[in-house]
Amino acid sequence: MTEPLEARDDSPANVSTASTTSTALPGLDGLADELLGVVQSVDGVTAVYPAQPLWQSIAGAALSVVTGGTPALITLTDDAGVLAVKARIAVGTSRPAPAVAREVAEAVRKHLLPRPTAVDVSVVKVGG
Amino acid sequence: MNTTSDTLECGHSLAELSTYLDTGQIADPVHLETCPECQAGLASLRRLSVLGSELLSSDVADAGSGNDDWMQSILDNLRLELRPGRSIPLHSGNAQDNLWETEGSISALIRSVADALPGTAAGKCRLHGDVTTPGAGITVDVEIAVVYGHPMEERAATLRRELAEALALHTELAIDAIDITVTDVLESPATTEPGTPPSLQTPPDPADSPTTEEQP
Amino acid sequence: MTGSPAAQHQLDLVPDALLAGRAADGDTAAFEALARRHGPLMRATARRLTGSLADADDVVQETLVQAWKQLDGLRDPAAVRGWLLRIVGSRSIDHLRKRRNHADLSGVEDAVDASSGPKHEDPESNALNGSRVEALKAALAKLPEEQRRCWVLKEFNDQSYEEIAQTLNISPASVRGRLARARITLARTMEEWR
Repeated sequence: MTEPLEARDDSPANVSTASTTSTALPGLDGLADELLGVVQSVDGVTAVYPAQPLWQSIAGAALSVVTGGTPALITLTDDAGVLAVKARIAVGTSRPAPAVAREVAEAVRKHLLPRPTAVDVSVVKVGG
Repeated sequence: MNTTSDTLECGHSLAELSTYLDTGQIADPVHLETCPECQAGLASLRRLSVLGSELLSSDVADAGSGNDDWMQSILDNLRLELRPGRSIPLHSGNAQDNLWETEGSISALIRSVADALPGTAAGKCRLHGDVTTPGAGITVDVEIAVVYGHPMEERAATLRRELAEALALHTELAIDAIDITVTDVLESPATTEPGTPPSLQTPPDPADSPTTEEQP
Repeated sequence: MTGSPAAQHQLDLVPDALLAGRAADGDTAAFEALARRHGPLMRATARRLTGSLADADDVVQETLVQAWKQLDGLRDPAAVRGWLLRIVGSRSIDHLRKRRNHADLSGVEDAVDASSGPKHEDPESNALNGSRVEALKAALAKLPEEQRRCWVLKEFNDQSYEEIAQTLNISPASVRGRLARARITLARTMEEWR
């Protein structure tokens, strides 16, 4: 089917930090992996989408352009000492979507303590 | 036949007849009606057109069904990026955090609620109002198709109630109204001739049928 | 994405306009239902235009990619079929231009009609022995490229002169002329064959 990339299609091993990471903090790659696990384990999260919206198709010549790298599911950026974490998630309908989003943000923050953190969570799909 | 010239003995050309076939327009319609040469040329072009339709049917049959593997493999190759639409802010537990729902996630929710009702399918849906400002009044517009025989008024009332519940649960939007418009009445699968493409089914004139109901 | 098979089945029953509206809202299931519904015609058109089975499937895929991106700009959702076919037309022409730069068309191994069996080795005898449709295929194959394109876009996709002109990047008057030449040649061939 033409589902967007979902967590179950991308093993955590494929997850990497985005190339836009401004400062290469040690262990950031491993951290993105850890955080993906944290996000996925929140009750109500059904999928994690690439944090950077990406248009891709494997039609013809477009192939070589888009196969350059695997899209990052969790983006980490160092913003003047504050670690900015970005995630796009799909949620089920068993729990209220806003509550799930808040819980994801809290779980990420808790995992990163005591590091100063700003979490950005987008719910891109509810139900289905 | 002369292959270097397309001019008929009456002085008119097959090219004029070809254009007439597409546009219904010709310089001398009276002549066309009465000229045997022109009529013969027209008949020949029409036979070709019929044969062209037969070729098309044969080619479409050769192309296979849209439910076959070839189409599935094309669809598998597509990566259809979600359409996020506007970002709708959610309350967050921490001032450092930004939480959002995309407009697309809400329309998907609305569709799944409408599709879950028996005999009902969602069409377009729209959130009217400034969804990017917390607390701003929002009106939801949903178009639905209802399978023939299902009570429209009742379906609309049920759907409105279920949508209100789902939106209250899964969003923080201040919903002022939910407008539901029945845009299509569908033949029920049981009464549809097998193989009849939906495009050949005739829904009632939309000008007569839409019933818009508003939440009080 | 819409979930249950029942919902999928329902989508097969709804009119184009409703599917196009949903797809424009981001519903991939509705988009796929449209693709399945019009896929065979898109594929048939692309095959006639490109003359290549592989190119035709590339064209269908590229068309769907472009359609998904541009669907929310479609003014009349009920006209989605014609809109898809116009994209197929443009994409097919693009493929022909690319191919011309790379390889000789006669060297195409996956040529359309090539698979219809040994009778095709001799187009003349094929025309005499085969069906009228086979004869038309053979006659069509002998037309100058530009004429064949005009004919296919007109007869397969019912495009207007203006639409064909846009697709081929020529004037509507040229379309009218080429279409007439194509029809005259084909009609004469078929009359002789009758």
